[in-house]
Amino acid sequence: MKIARIILLAVGLLGLALGAVVMVAEVRPAQIVGVGIWILGAIVLHDAVLAPALLGVDVLMRRAGRRVRPAVVVIVQVGVVVGAIMSLLVLPEMYAKVLGPKNDTVLPLDYGLNLALFWSVTALLTAVACAVYVRAVPRRAAQRAT
Amino acid sequence: MRRLLNGMRRSLTSPVRNARSAVVIGRLLGLAFLVCFATGVYSHFLQDPLPWMRFATWPQLYQVTQGIHITAGIACFPLLLGKLYVVYPQLFQTPALKGPVHLLERASIALFVGASLVQIVIGLLNTYQWYPFPFNFKQVHWALSFVIIGSLAIHIAVKLPIIARNWSKAVPEADDEPPAESEVPTTGVTGRVMHWIDRTPAPEAGLSRRGFFAAVGLSTVAVVALTAGQSFAALKPLNLFGPRQKDIGPQGLPINRTAEAAKVTESAMAADWVLTVMAAGTVATFTRAQLLALPQTQVDLPIACVEGWSQMATWKGVRMRDLLEAAGAPSDKRLIVNSLEERGGYRTTEMGAEYVGDDLTLVALELNGGTLDIQHGYPARVIAPGRPGVLQTKWLRSLEVAS
Repeated sequence: MKIARIILLAVGLLGLALGAVVMVAEVRPAQIVGVGIWILGAIVLHDAVLAPALLGVDVLMRRAGRRVRPAVVVIVQVGVVVGAIMSLLVLPEMYAKVLGPKNDTVLPLDYGLNLALFWSVTALLTAVACAVYVRAVPRRAAQRAT
Repeated sequence: MRRLLNGMRRSLTSPVRNARSAVVIGRLLGLAFLVCFATGVYSHFLQDPLPWMRFATWPQLYQVTQGIHITAGIACFPLLLGKLYVVYPQLFQTPALKGPVHLLERASIALFVGASLVQIVIGLLNTYQWYPFPFNFKQVHWALSFVIIGSLAIHIAVKLPIIARNWSKAVPEADDEPPAESEVPTTGVTGRVMHWIDRTPAPEAGLSRRGFFAAVGLSTVAVVALTAGQSFAALKPLNLFGPRQKDIGPQGLPINRTAEAAKVTESAMAADWVLTVMAAGTVATFTRAQLLALPQTQVDLPIACVEGWSQMATWKGVRMRDLLEAAGAPSDKRLIVNSLEERGGYRTTEMGAEYVGDDLTLVALELNGGTLDIQHGYPARVIAPGRPGVLQTKWLRSLEVAS
């Protein structure tokens, strides 16, 4: 394992060095600063905004769901996560379409409508999953299991 | 400070946030990164080959590698967010810094996370052809790919013992344990908030693990299934969110650069247009009628774009080899291909000898049974097997055999 770690470390340092060389050789200094700001911004956006917000939503859902069966809370959370991740990808796409694509074959679909459709189907499937669970697993059996 | 960090970690405690989950999701993400890297390097060298490089001319090779590149990149969104969810409490580890080596390790993780997020975001935005960032996409995407693969190797080197222990089953790690209640803030606003979170009903371990992996797995399946139809014909009916859709465009084929953007609407329609073929000592010119009078070959080849979309089409025209022969030029050398475009990064491109001599490489005059549309390169364009769309030069002006 020691040899594997040393090789990986060497490969890693080589990769970083190569990345730095390519960056300096091909990207103008002002743009490199821009890359640095974006990397820093991504860390801040994730660590200081997205992740705490997710914690908040999770805690609120668990508190609101005190009287609901835990599995139902989890199923709803799965539905929300799937919808949120899809939205994360599609909202910028919708915005890019509003800005105006270069030609009619770029972003040709109605992404807003499709996203609404996606949320509807996700909500429906989530509801069905909850209903199936509640019917299939009686409350007492679920409590014994936990 | 120590108490505050402990408090954060305690609040973030979850049965999902352990070494085993990090390994399970990390190896999928690592695999996706490696696939993106390999296909990306291939795409890069197809466009900027080193002098000694020769490439396979399998017709659908690039369509597949670049389709995989984009699709795997999209799959990285749920996987990376899931991975970050698992390891997020590590941000608040105590002591925050143990020494210079620990500082380097944490700095490399920060770079790894930040660069990975930027990489997949700019890659996605590039497929939308939207560039809200203050730097050039192509060069930065290329440079960051080395930074990320390097950081990945370092990350695996550092975590290798934990990865090995947790590869096939969960082994409790010291980091997985939440700090004791006595170790966290009890006063002030933070103390109250953390206590409030502590009193929230805790999720049951097995249940929340299943929920977490269901969320990441279903998200990954959804984002892949509902976008990959732009690259893979079998998924076309499911393409709700791909930035391109097959069969949309002039003659049923999407386009990237229009004739208007390339400023060729006049030069391409000019009555005196000729295709010039140059080789050492010879210059030959061909009008469109003369090209049509040469033996015609029909091939089925895809247009496959660096942005991941691709589309199969039927092309008809003069085989490149036949054309060079008719011009008295050799067909076993590199070609320099010039377009009527006045500017643009791909106005002049090179075609390796392996493509020049291939049976499937054409100077195309017809597309899907009709005269080539000006948006697809009228009066004549290049179509070769297994090359990125940007190298399938439209609105041909001249071909030069490199000496």
